[in-house]
Amino acid sequence: MFDLELKNVTVHYKDIVAINNASLEAKHGEIIGFIGADGAGKSSLMHAIAGVGRFKGEIIYEGTDYHSPKEAERIKENIGLMPQGIGLVLYETLTVGEHLEFFAAIRNLKKNNDFFTYKNKLLQMAGLLHFVDREAGKLSGGMMQKLSLICTLLHRPKLLILDEPTTGVDPLSRMELWEILDDIRSSEGTIILVSTAYMQEAAKMDKILLFDEGEIIAGGSSPELIDSVRKYTYEEVSCDNDKVCFSFDKRSYALYPLAAKYAEPTLDALFFVNALQKKHTLPTMEIGERQSTVTIPKVVMEAKALTKQFGDFVANDHIDMQLQSAQIVGLLGANGAGKTTFIKMLLGLYPIDEGELYLLGKPILSGNDRRELKAQIGYVSQHFALYKEMTVRENLLYFARMHAIGTETALRRIEKYASALGYLQYMDALPGELPLGINQRFSITAALLHEPVILFLDEPTSGVDTIARAQFWQILEMLKVKWGISILITTHYMSEAEYCDRVVLLKEGVKVADEYVDELYRQHPHAKNFEEIFLEYYQ
Amino acid sequence: MMRVFWTIVAKELISFLRSWGLLAVVLYALTLDVYIAGAGMQIKPRNVAIGYVDHTGGGISRKILSRLHGPEFVPPQRFLSQKALSDAIFNKKILVGILFDEDFEKDYRQGNTAVMNVLLDATAASQSFTTLGYLQSIIMDFSKIDFPVTVKSHKLFNENADNHTFMALSEMLSVITMLSILLPAMVFVKEKEEGTWDIMLLMPIDAKLTILAKSFSQVIIIMVGTIICVGFVLFGSFDISMNGSFWAFVLLTFFYIFTTAGIGLFVAAVSKSILQVAQLSMIIMMPLIFLSGAWTPVYAMHPVLEKLSLISPLRYYIEGCESIFYRGTAFIDLWPYFAGVLVLGSLLYWYGFRKIGKLF
Repeated sequence: MFDLELKNVTVHYKDIVAINNASLEAKHGEIIGFIGADGAGKSSLMHAIAGVGRFKGEIIYEGTDYHSPKEAERIKENIGLMPQGIGLVLYETLTVGEHLEFFAAIRNLKKNNDFFTYKNKLLQMAGLLHFVDREAGKLSGGMMQKLSLICTLLHRPKLLILDEPTTGVDPLSRMELWEILDDIRSSEGTIILVSTAYMQEAAKMDKILLFDEGEIIAGGSSPELIDSVRKYTYEEVSCDNDKVCFSFDKRSYALYPLAAKYAEPTLDALFFVNALQKKHTLPTMEIGERQSTVTIPKVVMEAKALTKQFGDFVANDHIDMQLQSAQIVGLLGANGAGKTTFIKMLLGLYPIDEGELYLLGKPILSGNDRRELKAQIGYVSQHFALYKEMTVRENLLYFARMHAIGTETALRRIEKYASALGYLQYMDALPGELPLGINQRFSITAALLHEPVILFLDEPTSGVDTIARAQFWQILEMLKVKWGISILITTHYMSEAEYCDRVVLLKEGVKVADEYVDELYRQHPHAKNFEEIFLEYYQ
Repeated sequence: MMRVFWTIVAKELISFLRSWGLLAVVLYALTLDVYIAGAGMQIKPRNVAIGYVDHTGGGISRKILSRLHGPEFVPPQRFLSQKALSDAIFNKKILVGILFDEDFEKDYRQGNTAVMNVLLDATAASQSFTTLGYLQSIIMDFSKIDFPVTVKSHKLFNENADNHTFMALSEMLSVITMLSILLPAMVFVKEKEEGTWDIMLLMPIDAKLTILAKSFSQVIIIMVGTIICVGFVLFGSFDISMNGSFWAFVLLTFFYIFTTAGIGLFVAAVSKSILQVAQLSMIIMMPLIFLSGAWTPVYAMHPVLEKLSLISPLRYYIEGCESIFYRGTAFIDLWPYFAGVLVLGSLLYWYGFRKIGKLF
C-alpha cells in the first residue's frame, strides 16, 4: 500500500497539455526527484498534487482521494508547498521571527511547548537562530530559501512539495537545505517531492522521475537510470557527419555503436540520449572567425586591489585578478560573497572605491575610459534581459547600432550567428514567446556583435535545461579557441566550474582561491568533484 | 552620434506602439476623456425636477409655474402638503420645491409683498441655484419695476458662452501634464523593472545622449497625441475656434512637455517600479493642477496660494493656451507665457536630468 498515489493525472492550460497521464506512487519517508527541461510539466504536476491547480485524474493520499482543488482542502493541513523562485513566499519587511509567527497563525497552530521546541529546532537547522530579528529582504538568497523552507515545515506537513528549492542557491546553502530535508524525512516520515536542475542532487534521491514534454518518460533510482543509458555512452570521439550523435564533457552519445570505449555516464546522459531517441536534431553550434583583426595581448584585463564599500560594509576587499586571453575564468562564491559587485566594477557600472583597473594595459580612470571599456566588452546578464516588445531581429539590430556597427555589416553578422546558433526561424518572434535556451543563445549574440575582447557572463545557465546548457558551453569553448577572447563566468553549478580553465573563489568579499582547475584538484586530493572543493573552502 | 540618438528614439517608439495597454490608455486620455469632460459638464439647468404646494387656488401661481418648461425643467409636480414635498426633496426625487401659501395671492392682489417660499437641494448647488436665478427673473418680469436701466451684455472670447470648450481645453491641458510626467518616467523605470537597466548602462554611449533620446521619444508621442486631440476633439467635436497661431500653440506645448518631462525624470530617478511612478506622479501632479488655475481661477485663490501658483508651470501654459485659443493674442505678446514655461522648464528639466544622470 502506498501513501501517495497518482492515477493518470493530466493538467491542461487552455489547449496546452502541461502534463499528460502522469502516475506515481510514494511511501512515507521517501524523497522523489523530478528532473527535466523547462516546461516539461514538473511544476504543473506539483501544483496538482498540492491541490492548488485543476487537473483530471485521481490523487489518493493516505486513503483520501481527490480530483479537484476543492476536494483537496481535506488534506491541505498535511501538505506543504514551496513554489519556484527565491523568497516568493516571504515578505521583505517582516523579520525571520515575524515570519514564523505569521505562518503559525495562518495555519492555526497551537502554541504549546511542542511547537516552540520544534520551531527552535527548525531555526537551529536553518542556521537562522541568530537572525531572528533580521528582515527577510536583508537575507542572502540561500538564507531566504532556508527561511522559506522552515516556514513551509512549520505545520509539520506529511507531504512536502518543493519546486526547484535550490535553483540560484550556492552549494553551501544547498547542502544545508538538503541536511534539513534529510532530517525531516527521517524524524517526521515525510514524503518529499522535489524538482531540481542539479543532477548531483538528483543522484542522492530515492527515486527520480524524468519529465519530457508533458510526460514522465523514465523513473527509477539513480543507478537504475544510469544503467539504462550505459550502452549509449562512449568516450569522446568525433561523430560521423551523416549520423546523429552528440559530444559533451569528454563523452559522446550515440544510439549506434561508436568506435570508442564505453564511458561511465552521469544523469545528464539521460537527457542527451532521450533527445537522440526522439530524433531531435541537436544542432552543432558553430562560431566563425572574428571579422575585425585585433591582436589580443596575453593579459586582457587586470584588477589590482579592487575595493568597494557600501557604508560600513566592505563588499569587495582588495581583490586582484587577471583575465587572460583564450581563457575561461569561473568566478564562484556563495550568495552574497561579492561576485555581482565585483563584476559590476569590472564592467564600469560601479565606481571603484580603491584599487586600479587596466584594460589592454591602459588604466580605466575617467568616464571616457569607462565608455571605451564598455565598447570592448560583451555582457550576458542573468535573465538574458532583452527588450521584450521588440523581435529578436530588432533587438539585435538595436544592439549593433548602439555599438556603431553599420547596418549592412550588422545584418550580415546577425544572419550568420542566427544560422550558426540555430535560431534562424525565431528571428521575427518576440523574446517572451521563446524558450529560455533560445533566449540565451541570442543574448549571447547581442553580446558578441561588436566582437569584444572580453565576455562577462552572470549566471548564464540558471534555469536553462541540461541540453541547452551543454550547447552553451560548446559555444564558449569555441569562442575561446577561435577568437582567443577572455571569458569570465559566474555560476552555481559546480559541475560547470570544471569546464573553466581557472577558478576564482570569493568568500565574504575576499578572494580565497585563484587557481587552475587541475591545480585545485592536486591541492585537494580527497575531493571527488568540484562541489567538495568548494565546500572545503567554505567550512 | 545622431544615428545612436535616433536609434534609441525609434526603439522607444516601437516599444510604445507594441504595448497595447499603454497605447489604449494614452489614446483614451487624449480623446474620449477630454470629450467627456467637455460634453458632460452642465452648468445650465437641464431636466430639473420641480415640485410645488399650492394653497392659493390657482391664478398667479399657475402663471409662474407655466413658465417652467423643457428642456430646462420637467413639468412641475404637485404635492398636497409641505411635508410631502420636503420628503420628496429628501429622497432626491425633486430638486427645487415651491410653496404658495394661502396669503400669497391675496397679498399680491392687495399690493402687499407676497412671499413665495423656495426649497432648494443645495447639494446639487449649481443646478438648484441657477434654477433660483430663473425664478427670480420670472418674478422680475411679473413685477415690472419702473427702473429704466437695462443690461446688454457682450460676450468676449467665448462668444457662445460655451462651457464645453473651456472644460475640454482645461482637461486636455491637464491630461498633457499627466502624460508628460508619467510616460518619460515609465521609459526609465520599465528598464529597471525588466532588468534591462544594466544592459542600457553598458552601451558605450554618453549617458546624456541616452537620457535626452529617451525623454525626447516620449515628447514626440505626447505631441502627436496632442495634435490628435486638438484636431478631433477640440476642433472636430466642440468646434472651438482658434483665434491665435496654431504654431505658437505647438511650440508652447513642446516646451511645456519638456518641463513636465523634467519632473518625470525626477520621478524615474527615485522610483523602483511602475507602481511607485504612478503614486508619486499623482502626488506631484495634484498640487500642480490645483495651483494652475485649471479648476479655480488664480485671482480667486488665497493670497499665499496665489503667490505659489507662480511656480506652477501649468499656470503659464494654461494662460498661454487660453490666450492663443480665445483671445488670439499675437505671437510676440505671448512672451510672458513662453518666458514662464521656459524658465521653469529649464530649471525642472535640468534638475530631473541631473537626478537621473546620477544613476548612470
